Formats: sequence, structure tokens, C-alpha cells
Amino acid sequence: MLGQLIWWSGIALEIALLVRGLRGQLVRRLPIFYAYIAFVALQEFARLLVQSNKRIYWDVYWLTEFLGLAMGSLIVFEIYRVSLRAFPGAARMARNALTFVFLTAVAKALANVWASGGWRLDSTAFEVERALRTVQAAAILALVALFLVYSIPFGRNLRGILLGYGLFIGQRVVCLTFMPPQGHHFWFYAYSAGYLVTLIVWLSHLWWYEVSPVANNAVPSDREYQSIAAATQRRLRAMRASVRKAVRS
Amino acid sequence: MMESSSLIAGTALLLLILLVATLRLLASRSLQEPPLARGEEDITEPCPDEFVSRIFSRDDWEFVRGIKCGSIERLFSRERKRVALAWVRQTSAMIRRVMRGHAEAARQSRNLEVSVELSILTQYVALMAVCAILSLAIQVAGPLWLGGLAQFAQRLSLRVAKAQESLQARSLAEAARPGTA
Repeated sequence: MLGQLIWWSGIALEIALLVRGLRGQLVRRLPIFYAYIAFVALQEFARLLVQSNKRIYWDVYWLTEFLGLAMGSLIVFEIYRVSLRAFPGAARMARNALTFVFLTAVAKALANVWASGGWRLDSTAFEVERALRTVQAAAILALVALFLVYSIPFGRNLRGILLGYGLFIGQRVVCLTFMPPQGHHFWFYAYSAGYLVTLIVWLSHLWWYEVSPVANNAVPSDREYQSIAAATQRRLRAMRASVRKAVRS
Repeated sequence: MMESSSLIAGTALLLLILLVATLRLLASRSLQEPPLARGEEDITEPCPDEFVSRIFSRDDWEFVRGIKCGSIERLFSRERKRVALAWVRQTSAMIRRVMRGHAEAARQSRNLEVSVELSILTQYVALMAVCAILSLAIQVAGPLWLGGLAQFAQRLSLRVAKAQESLQARSLAEAARPGTA
């Protein structure tokens, strides 16, 4: 009963999100995000149709789950593309950070293969999803940290997508760590209810279109950047010396 | 192994998202309040050296202790702790200001150097960590204990360096002695 309630509430919120996106012209500005929402809404109906046949249901469930995961990765790309369009320096740092996250994930996967003496063919879909979601979580963590360090200004819409998707991935990874593969239990409801919270965050931030703030700083030249970086390093060193001197006095 | 790293990544992401949301909420609330005339965040110049050097110094404490009056001692400890905490807050505000100024210029630079940025970021994180530890230590034990601890650490490191030097000299002398090679 509770499961059905969460399911239908989720579908209603997804449809509301799509309707508001179409009416507010947000679909044109954030096409990947709305394609993802449309996909998730359709997947809910597809799962509902095959719900009675357990064997087909699990095939459809995992197929749509992995397609959703792939489309979710594109949301991270859309956040990166839209938010850092005006900031080539921060975009360069983000590319490096994401490459580092990806290479670390590949290295860790290879190390696991090496340690277990070969590819494990008995890895469950759960384990694969958890590993991929963990990589997504690390990528979002790196992006959010970078946005904070470089004080990237966010519009209401993009901030909502990032908060909602970060919340969704974080709680999904935690739930997948504890969730038994089958059955309706606490973690199953926690995951489903967490997705509803995500949808509410999205709906509240994407109810209307809001123009993103634009940075009006002049773009520094190569020489200007070098001198700014040198001055920053000098000032930070001076601060460190000052702190050390104060405590030792 | 995989489970623990997943759990760490998921929990860290959830905490960061909640932190960002909370900070955003606090920022929107502070915008509604009237701005302060001159807060610690507005100070651009560091405190004069002669002032800072006395915050962690034991000289004033020795003088107050010489009066042998418990209430004055307590008042002195309380006030010195407040001054020390204000100095740490002001210092970390200045570090943040330096970093914000740099970030605003660097984020738009087309020729940003990743190694330089990482070096600056490391320095910034280390300094902010030092400020956080200082603040915690002052709250827990007070600035005078911290000054004493820093001096003890300095004396200890000097002693370790001297011991290492004499050990190195002895091993070199032994290596130079005929018949040991």
C-alpha cells in the first residue's frame, strides 16, 4: 500500500515537473534533464505494465535502471556544461577533476580484478549499479567542491537540479550498500521516499525559469593570471608565517 | 571494501549537499538582516605584530598571577580567550578573502595552470585547517596553554634536530674509521 502510494506520487510529481518545464520554456534550456525526467516517467509506466510477470519485470527493471543511470551521467555533464560555460578556467579544473575521478575508478576496478584473480561473472546487477553510482557520487562531489572553491554563481534552476540529483545519488548509494536484493523493507521505502524528496526539490526549484547570474569580471590575460596566482601564493605564505609567529611568540 | 568506499562516497555527498543547502538558507536569511557596520569579514589589514605576539604570550599571565587574585585571573583568562578567538576568526576571514579574490580571477582565465591552482588550494586548505585546529584548541584549553605547547614543540623539534645531527656525525665518523667498510 505504502509502496503504491509512493509510486503514484512519484509519477504525479514527474508529470507536474514535465508540464512546468514545457510551460516555462525550461525544456529548451535544460534538454538532457527533461529527457531524463520523461524517460523516468515512461519507465514507471513500462514497469507498471509488466508488474504481474515477475521474470519480465526484473529484466525490464534492470534494463531501465541502467539506461536511467547512463542518462543520469548526462545530467552531470549538463550541469558542468551550463554552469561553467562562462568560466573557462574553472571548466578546465573540472575536466581535470572528472578525469581524475574516472581514472581512479578504473584503477580501483582493475585492482579489485587483480586481487580476486579475474573477472567476477557472478557480480550482481546490484553490485554493478552500486559501483557505477559511487563513481557518479564522486564526480558530483568533485564538481560541487569545485563550484564552492571558485564561487561559481548558480541560477535557481541549475542549483535545484544539482541539489536534487546530488541528494538522489547520495541516498541511492547509501541505500544500495544496505539494501537486500529483494523484498519491501526499510531501505526499499527509504530509497523510494528519498526519490520523492528529490522530485519535490526539483519541482520547487524548476517551477519557473530564472535567469542565471552572470559574472561581470573582466577575463584576465595569461600574464595577469600569472601575477594574480603569484600574489595569492605570496599572501598565503605571509599569512602562514604570521600564524606561526603568533603562536610561537 | 567496495561497500565501505560506496558508503563513504554516498554519505560525503549527502552531507555536502545538506551543507550547501544549509549555507544557502543561512545566506538568504542574512541578506534579510541589516548589514553590520564593520564586521570581522570586512577587515583587510592584519593585526599589528606587537598586538598578535601578546595573544599567546605568557608574560601578561605571569603578571596577573603575581597579583594573586582569583577573580582577576578568571577575568583575564576569559578575555584573553575571546581576543584569541576573534584573532583566529579574523585571520581565517582574511585567508578566505585572499582565496575568493584569486578564485574570481582564476575561474575566467583561459590559461589557468592546474599545478599552480592545486598548490594554492593545498596552501588554502592547510591554513584553514590550522585555523580550525587553533580555534578548537583555544576553546578547549585556552590561548596560554597553546602558546606553551607551541614553545614546547619548538624546543622538542630543536632537540630532535640536534640529536639527529649528532647521530649523523657519529655514523659518518664510524664509516670513516679504517676497517669498518
